Amino acid sequence: MAHIHLGEGSFPLWALALWTGLGIALIITVVYHVRKEGIKTHQIALAGIGAAASFAIFQLNIPVWGGIHMNLTGLVGILAGPLLGALIALVVNIFSAALGHGAVGLLGANTLVNASEAIVAYYAFRTLVRMDWDVFPAGASAATLGLSAGAILMGAIIVVSGVNGSALPRADLTVAVAGLLGLNLGVAVIEGILTGFVVQFLVSVRPDLVGPVDRVGSEEHPGVTA
Amino acid sequence: MDRWKQYGGLLGLIIVCFGAGLWGFTSTGGALPWAKRSAQTLQRGVQESGGELIDVGRGIVVAGPIRKGGMMLEFTGLVVLLALVGVGLYVYVDRYHGFDEQESAAK
Repeated sequence: MAHIHLGEGSFPLWALALWTGLGIALIITVVYHVRKEGIKTHQIALAGIGAAASFAIFQLNIPVWGGIHMNLTGLVGILAGPLLGALIALVVNIFSAALGHGAVGLLGANTLVNASEAIVAYYAFRTLVRMDWDVFPAGASAATLGLSAGAILMGAIIVVSGVNGSALPRADLTVAVAGLLGLNLGVAVIEGILTGFVVQFLVSVRPDLVGPVDRVGSEEHPGVTA
Repeated sequence: MDRWKQYGGLLGLIIVCFGAGLWGFTSTGGALPWAKRSAQTLQRGVQESGGELIDVGRGIVVAGPIRKGGMMLEFTGLVVLLALVGVGLYVYVDRYHGFDEQESAAK
């Protein structure tokens, strides 16, 4: 659920330029690979559903840990893959910023944070499935790891940038951000377990929709030969 | 891999993250809503904390800027639109097995 909720002007200009530049570089890389490697039709459908689900859940504050929102970026990464996952992170952040949830100036930083969640979750899930893990523990662990990576990146972005108008010296700011990071890790577990259940359900009804599982399955079962 | 190792690994991850979450909750303002907690923590550091871990009385609420800005109708419409497009694409792909077959037929 990592998402920087600071208002416009919270980061110094150099930090804003840095994170926006890195965000643009990430999206350029993703678009280049998408054009080069192509996308399967079912991935586009999954990306649409993933973006809708992620955007909707983004806007709902659940009364746990003082009021949090989930992202579903781990689920999106596992289902849609790292490339479309990163694009979905951008789209969801643009929609959210347009509605006043997250600053427009922090689109680059927030895209980096959420894209990292999707990318790490995808590769963690693929690795665990290849290690012959069951779908539920693999999905739950991968999503938790992805969300944790996003939370750590979020904390690092805030500490590196500094916050305009904050009375805290950098060391105290780091301690304060560590508290926010810890809270994110707690929420990551809840979202990770939910993701595990969703992925397990999808694999039981439509295993072809879950790329890494389908790929491992087809490697193990090459088909019937005459 | 042994199932106990898989679930043991997941359990370890849950314990570490949940412990960190509990510490983060108490050290950054307890039951404060996220935006307020975030601003308060980053502007003035760690404050005293309190409040319930789960506050059912708050219900599930839409993010403040949307709710207070009177954009609930637009938000609902957007969510319904996105959901319909998503489901529509899903149904379309489920029924239409076209692209790959067409490409191979063309070749």
